[in-house]
Formats: sequence, structure tokens, C-alpha cells
Amino acid sequence: MKKRVRLAALGMAAAMILGACSSAGGSGETKQEAGNAQTEGQPSGGSSSGGSSAGGTELTVWLTPQWKGVFSGTEEGADYDSFFKEAAKRYMESHPDVTIKVEVIDGSTRDENLSVAQQTNTLPDIMFEGAFTMSSFYHKGAIVPITDLITDEDKADISEGIWNNCMIEDEIFIYPFFHMPGTLVYNADMFRAAGLDDKVAGQYEIATWTPDEFVGILEALKAANPNVYPMALFALNNQADTWNLAYLRMFGNQFYSDDNHLVVNEDSGVKALEYILNLYNSGLTVPGAESLDSNTNNAMFQNQQIAVSFTNSVLLANLAADMESGALPAFDYRLANIPGDPHPNGFTYVTGAMVMNTGDEARIAAAKEFVKYFCTDEELVTASKNGTPVRASVVSKVSGELPYLEAYNKNDQYLFNFSKNLPGYTELRNVLFPELQAALTGEKTAQQALDDYVKNGNAILDEAKKSSVVYN
Amino acid sequence: MLKRIRHMEKPDLILNIIILLGAVLNLFPLYWLITSSFKTSAAIYKMPPDWFPTTFNIGNYRDLFVGQPAFRWAFNSILVSTVSTVLVIVFSSLAAYSFSKLQFKGKNALYMVFICSLMLPKEIFIVPLFKIVQALEWSDTYMGMIAPTVASCFGVFLLKGFFDTVPDSIRESGKIDGASELTIFTKLVLPIVKPGLGALFILNFVNVWNDYLWQMLMARTKNMRTLMVGTASLMQEINPNFAYKMAGATVACVPMLVVFLLFQRYFTAGITVGAEKG
Repeated sequence: MKKRVRLAALGMAAAMILGACSSAGGSGETKQEAGNAQTEGQPSGGSSSGGSSAGGTELTVWLTPQWKGVFSGTEEGADYDSFFKEAAKRYMESHPDVTIKVEVIDGSTRDENLSVAQQTNTLPDIMFEGAFTMSSFYHKGAIVPITDLITDEDKADISEGIWNNCMIEDEIFIYPFFHMPGTLVYNADMFRAAGLDDKVAGQYEIATWTPDEFVGILEALKAANPNVYPMALFALNNQADTWNLAYLRMFGNQFYSDDNHLVVNEDSGVKALEYILNLYNSGLTVPGAESLDSNTNNAMFQNQQIAVSFTNSVLLANLAADMESGALPAFDYRLANIPGDPHPNGFTYVTGAMVMNTGDEARIAAAKEFVKYFCTDEELVTASKNGTPVRASVVSKVSGELPYLEAYNKNDQYLFNFSKNLPGYTELRNVLFPELQAALTGEKTAQQALDDYVKNGNAILDEAKKSSVVYN
Repeated sequence: MLKRIRHMEKPDLILNIIILLGAVLNLFPLYWLITSSFKTSAAIYKMPPDWFPTTFNIGNYRDLFVGQPAFRWAFNSILVSTVSTVLVIVFSSLAAYSFSKLQFKGKNALYMVFICSLMLPKEIFIVPLFKIVQALEWSDTYMGMIAPTVASCFGVFLLKGFFDTVPDSIRESGKIDGASELTIFTKLVLPIVKPGLGALFILNFVNVWNDYLWQMLMARTKNMRTLMVGTASLMQEINPNFAYKMAGATVACVPMLVVFLLFQRYFTAGITVGAEKG
């Protein structure tokens, strides 16, 4: 016993000495790292924020994990920051007065990171992230408009549907780099087994079904294989709620009025929710959708427990990679539009670069220059093939590598901006799924659920508008 | 063993079976965590589930340790948790002893301030704390991660309870023998409250080990991340690989298990003393 206590005391003492050394070592090491990095084109200093001085301008780039490698994940040492490190290196060769630091942050805590940074004046200079997740920070004054960076050539090279996702009022707040179109995905093998050969589109095409056809398909799938749930459905949280938003537009509902208020409780919206509830109550979807999230549904589709699920271009690429590596048993999967009347609905997640409002004009100007550089450089911009490139000029170069590109481009006509980049959109997401849960459990009718969503949602939008720098 | 079971009375046997079932139930999450870390993300969701892994996929660990400084992250986690906890024990025991045994002006009022501060969630003072640490240029250093955690009101509160149980006569006899206050504290009183120190060690170690928000804000460079922050930074939001998370969590929980096994005697004793004190 005494020996153990002595050992513990010795351990504690050693830990303390080690700790004291390491604290100093930690700082020292950071400086050392930074020092080394500077020779490689990285900034000095342990602070997350950059700065401008007589010696030049220091920029910090934050990104959430997007793709590995400069151009491809197969490169040696490929990591999430590879592209930006390479872009920074190339840029600094021609701009020796600028140093650029790249930091990967955790996507799930992006908002906390940015909120603390904004409150402590330590915002990064550039943020690379999805448009809809960042629009609220534009309304908070954390992002500066970059409309002045966009040339007529850029406008012509990128479709209008993409630009709509990048704008708030008349200003562009994000330089689009790539996007991820959202669609449905279905197990074509199950379709054939259910005698639905005529509903299966080409391997790299996106099938389009009317809402009535879709019901028929799900019924046939259920009859053919009672052990498989015909359709994915989820309402546990706000994860992947964009598909639910698309379902609510199924019968032509516009979702937002011209004055940016929710109108989804109009007849067309109610009809859409009733349609989904009918599928659910008829056993044509996965049961218990009110307590299921999108990841569970996605995994069930991969395990061939669901026949029709949701996907986007990144999830689809990962599905293909998992099948190729043997991590998943292979089956024939194809894409389909979210059914709609009179036309299907499509949406996309636009990802790109934003210049943050650090309050330092010199840094903002330098950040804009760097954003312009990596978003327009002919070679670097081909890295956008890791998603779906937004530029027609890139699409023409890499179309051979991305078989779905043509189908996605054809779908551009159905794109809607699901968030309209409204202030309060993030909070708005949190009042939809409880209403969907109430409708799915039968606690509320479709009309009641959507009325309550509209009432609560409009209150959020009005409140958020009051504090938006765009409207005040 | 069988002989012992045979000689057991029926109520004892039933009670033991219930306890055994409870233990299995409690161990199941750990089993599930470890086995899932060797599955693919899709296999984790398989229905019916694979209770015993059918494949042994080390890819999750390979991704974690190859190409990423995961050993460095583990070292950072161990270092930050250990040093922070040792310092918490030193400072908390000194403060708790003072509150329990020494007489000074405003003692009760000051103790009330300590207790009241327990009601403040960390998120409330994260911004001012961040500003202070930035001003001290401790961002992205071990100091920035450790220093804000060493003043623990909970530690003072917990240990004061233990010091209160130590009879004043021990301190008085030490005084009569000519011992200094520090000698009385280290040689006479502290050994008596060892269960409390053990309990605080485990509680604080786990708390710092699992701390995410503050360490995430502090660790700006890849090498300075802790295991929790480093693993999370590898997850794509759009395509979360849960098997990857399981591997990260498995690596993260091993040191905690070791700490618990080392200090469990003190921890159990500490909890019991607390319960007796009521």
C-alpha cells in the first residue's frame, strides 16, 4: 500500500515537472513550428488571427473538412488542408509580402468557433465553407460582400441557380467553388426484382417520376420484398432537413413569400405533407421516422434495408468508393429527382470562400486577392471536381472523370434556393422537425403542424431581421 | 468458485445473478464501442446487428494513426489531463484545508462565493476567458489549455467535506508537538483524506480529458490538438464515418480506464465517505 502511494506521489511529481517543461515547450514549439512554417510560407505567431505590419500581411484561412489532397485524395500525404497549403505556397511566390496560415476546424463546432472569434476580434481572414451554413454570419456582419470581385466572365461561367445561392439581397457574399446537388438514390436491383424495370433510368441519368408514379413504385417495392422499407424518412433533428423541405415543395409550394415570410401552410404545402404522411401511415417508408436521423437512413440504404433514400454528390462518391473497396457489398444504385408536380425539385449545397470582416482594410483587401486567385486560377480551380464544379469551363475539362456531371447540369433548371440565405435560417431549421415529428406521430394534422411551423418560423425570421446588418 | 456458489443461500445467489447481469449491462457499451471500431460505418447500423464482429477492419485505426499525428494528440490529452488534475488537487486541497480548519475574516462569505460560482456554466465565461488567454499569448500552448482549469471550485467543495471529517484534535496535537501548519497539512491531515483526493483525481481527469470546447478553441495548430479535438477535426460533416468515431473514442477511453483502475479504491472509498457524511 505504502509503495503504491509512493509510486503515485512520484508519478504526480514527475507529471508536474513534465507539465512545467511542456508548458514552456508547447509555446516554444509553436513558435518553432511557426518559424519553420514561415520559411515554407506560413505565418508566425501562435494567435489564430493574422495581422498587417510593415513586414507584410498575415492571412488565416479556416476550412471544415471537405476533400483530401490538392486535386485528389490519392496523392501522397493527402489531407484536408493540402489544397489551401498548395494554393498559399503558389500565391506567396508571387506575393512575398503575404503569409498565409491554413487551419482545419471541426465542422460540427464551426458556429461556436466563429462566434467566439467574432466576439474576441480573432476572426480568420478567409472561411471556406457551405453558403447556407454561413449566411447567418453575413447577417451578423462577420463577412464582407465580394460583389466587386466578380467579373462578367465569372457570371457567365457559373449558372444563375448557383449565384442565387451566393447572394443576399444584391450582394454576393461567397465565391462559389463547387457544389453538391441533392437527389434521391435508389437500389435498381430491388426495382428490377419488383418488376419496375421501366422506372429504372440509365446508369448516369437522374430518373424523374411524378408523385403518383412514386406511390406506385413504393407499393410495388413493398409487395415484392416485405423485409425492405421502400423509402427513407427522418425527422429526429435538423440533419439533412433539406430533403424534407424539398418534399414540402412537391406540389408547387414556394415556401417563402416575396417579403421573406413562410407560406408553406398554404394548400399546396399541406397537400405535400399529407402526401408524405399517407406514405408513412401506409407503411411505404421506414417506420419510426420521427425518431430516426438521416445517417441511420443512409446506413440502412447502404445495408440494403431501404430501397429509395437520399444522397448528394459527395455521399454518392463515398458510396461508390466503399463498394469498390469492399467495405460495402456492391449493388446497382441510380439517381432520381425528388418527385414534384408539375416538375421535380432540386437543390444544391454551394461551397466556397468568404472574406471575413476582420476590421483591417489591408487584410480584407489581401484576403479578397487570395480568394480571387484560388477561385479563378485555371489549374487550381480544377480541384472543384472533388465536388461538382460550379464553372462550366471546369466542367468541360473534367467531364470525363465525373460521369454524373451532365445529368446534374441538366437538373440545374429545377434548382431552388432552400434557405434564401435569410437571417435566422439556422434557428428556423430547429422549429421544423418538431412539427414534422408531431405530424408523424399523429399529434397534429398536416395543417396544424404547418400552421404552427409558419407561426413560430415567421416570428424567428422577423426577430432575426431586426438584428441583421443587411436590413438595419 | 463452483463450491462457493453451491454453498450460497438462495437470496444471495439471486442477488449475485442480478449484480452480474447489471455488470454485463454496464460493460456492454464498452464492448460495443470496441467491436464497432473494427466495423465499417454501414455495418454499425446493420439490422439485425452483428453482436460479434464478422470482419476485422483495422482501416479506422490506420486512418487515425497513419498520416495524422494521433500519438501526439494522445500525448497532449494525457499531458493536459494529468498536469491539470495534479494542479487541481494541489490548489483545491490547500484551499479546502483553509476553509475547513483555519480561521480568518470573511471565511464563510468567501466560501459562499466559491459555492455560487459552481452554478455558472463554463460557456458563460468562455469569451472573456479566451480574451485573457489571448492577451497573455497563451493561445495554442499547453499553458492556455491547463491554466484555466486549475482553479476548481468543485474540487474545493468536495475536499472541504473530507477535511471537515478530520477531528480538530489531530491538528491541535500536531500544534502541541511543534509542527508547522504545512507539516500538519501534509503529514497529518492529507493522508486521512486520500479517498477524497483519489475521487477528485478521477473526476477531474475525466472532466479535462473529455473537455472539448475550450481545448478546441486553444489548439490552433494540428500538433497542439488533443485526441478529442483531433479526431473530431477529421470528420466530414456531410459524411460522418461512425466507425471512425468509435475508433477515436476507443483510443480516447483507454487512458481513462487505466486511471480508474489505478484509483478505483480511493474513488469508491471517497464516494462512501461522502454518502456517510450525508
